[in-house]
Amino acid sequence: MEKKNEELLTLAIESSCDETSAAVLRGGREILANIISTQIPIHQKFGGVVPEIASRKHIVNIMPVIDECLREAKVELKDIDQVAVTYGPGLVGALLVGVSAAKSLAFSLGKPLIGVNHLEGHIFANFLAAPDLEPPFMALVVSGGHTALVDVQGYNRFRMMGQTRDDAAGEAFDKIARVMGLPYPGGPRIDALAKEGDPMAIDFPQALTEKGNYEFSFSGLKSAVLNYINSEKMKGHELNKADIAASFQRSVIEVLVGKAFQAVKEAGRDTLVLAGGVAANSGLEARLREEAEKRGVRFLYPSKILCTDNAAMIGCRGYYQALAGGYSDLYLNAVPGLSLTDK
Amino acid sequence: MSILAIDTATQVSSVAVAKEGRLLSELTMQGKLTHSETLLPHIESVLKMAATAKEDLEGIAISIGPGSFTGLRIGLAAAKAMSYALNIPLVGVSTLKALAYQLPVPGVRLVCLLDAQKGNAYVESYRWENDELKTVEAVKVAKISDIIADCGALGEQVILLGDAVQKKIAGKLELPENVCVAMPHLVMPRAACVAMLGQAELKAGHVDNVMDLEPVYIRRSEAEVLWEKRHPEEAQATKPTEEM
Repeated sequence: MEKKNEELLTLAIESSCDETSAAVLRGGREILANIISTQIPIHQKFGGVVPEIASRKHIVNIMPVIDECLREAKVELKDIDQVAVTYGPGLVGALLVGVSAAKSLAFSLGKPLIGVNHLEGHIFANFLAAPDLEPPFMALVVSGGHTALVDVQGYNRFRMMGQTRDDAAGEAFDKIARVMGLPYPGGPRIDALAKEGDPMAIDFPQALTEKGNYEFSFSGLKSAVLNYINSEKMKGHELNKADIAASFQRSVIEVLVGKAFQAVKEAGRDTLVLAGGVAANSGLEARLREEAEKRGVRFLYPSKILCTDNAAMIGCRGYYQALAGGYSDLYLNAVPGLSLTDK
Repeated sequence: MSILAIDTATQVSSVAVAKEGRLLSELTMQGKLTHSETLLPHIESVLKMAATAKEDLEGIAISIGPGSFTGLRIGLAAAKAMSYALNIPLVGVSTLKALAYQLPVPGVRLVCLLDAQKGNAYVESYRWENDELKTVEAVKVAKISDIIADCGALGEQVILLGDAVQKKIAGKLELPENVCVAMPHLVMPRAACVAMLGQAELKAGHVDNVMDLEPVYIRRSEAEVLWEKRHPEEAQATKPTEEM
């Protein structure tokens, strides 16, 4: 007898960067287990993720994480109905570990394989966080490598409003944190430091702010901050790191908030969701919430654990993709430069 | 005992099915597609050719390195997941030993070289003694030119094998009189050899742990080596033992 969709068990695997994760979902939204093994402490001394080291950790962690996930979910592998896996974007060597394991599991079990776009996964984390959320809505995706506005018109219908032309917001955060001598990962450190500083202290630029432009550019802002830091150092001034962090963060946030609500208005949406690793930034979340309240827009963002790279969001995306027949064959390869596109 | 063997340590993709010391099927190719794309479809094919259902497999042998870091991980991730899902034992086989296994020639030294980048190779030497493959010189990383010079100084016949031979030596370097390269069809790794060696290991009760088995890298990542150069004192305190 065919299982009902809401009974389907999806095993999901995520290994795109520095977290090895496996999850089991029942239906599209019920998380039975979501195990995340992070490598952040290992990469800290290098000041960023070292791809070869990340890949080496994934190949060691992958089976224990899957095994623990199934035990926590109290599900036997043979009862899994489909296997979802992140195939991009990310670090190629890291992605390949998850992709290869997922393909082999799907083949061994004789079950379908679903290759999932990591960025779509971040958007779908919101379905796990808010059980009543349904398309259409606007999604602001802000992660280490990506910044984008996506009009989610249906579970399998996306319209790209715009994305970054150069650096992602997260990249700018990491680079500036490094120059200020803050330990990796820099994003949360800047967020914390910004709370102690004056956001109006330094006037950093905001790019592409003309109306109707949904593209982002953060390389100019990044250079401006770096130049400011250098010139202060040359003058022998002591750096006011809190003011720099607060002023930089304000520039990023104002651009994101401005464009996000413009997009909400243009597309006629009543809901805005935040997605991606930088969604954990408290300053951004607070400003979006404030603006949403002012405008009567529903604003959602995932819990901290669902904002980080995790397999549950990949399972959620995989589930809805499979409902529309979005399966992969055993030739599935990792695509490190995979982007968000219209669907 | 039906066994599946996988070798993705070099640009060769090779998979094989063997049963009771008999090779039932093998697919070995150097093509344009990546291991990631072809490995699972190839496994599906060799099982079909061998008329063996995956559920009838009783073991998996994986060429464990040294070799291409990414290639090794693609093979090992697939092997581990399959071993776990089918609940069958997994055993790692030295990529270098499997190479030497191709040439059952007593009385000569078999020197196996796998590309280690920048003119270097992972090298290990073997000799057949009483129908057994014995290691003469344990694995190390060395300059290919030095390896060849050392071989030339030996007072015995030497045959070179491995992907470093195909890429860097055959037809490219002048070899000393006592040194020659293996024939082109024998110079690269083959899963059939991994299957035979793996089967013997499994029969002897040697099983690797699917939860924590790692490729044999020999080398650490460049980032770690660099970091140690810059932090000599801290590095001394946490000196890992794997570096050779």
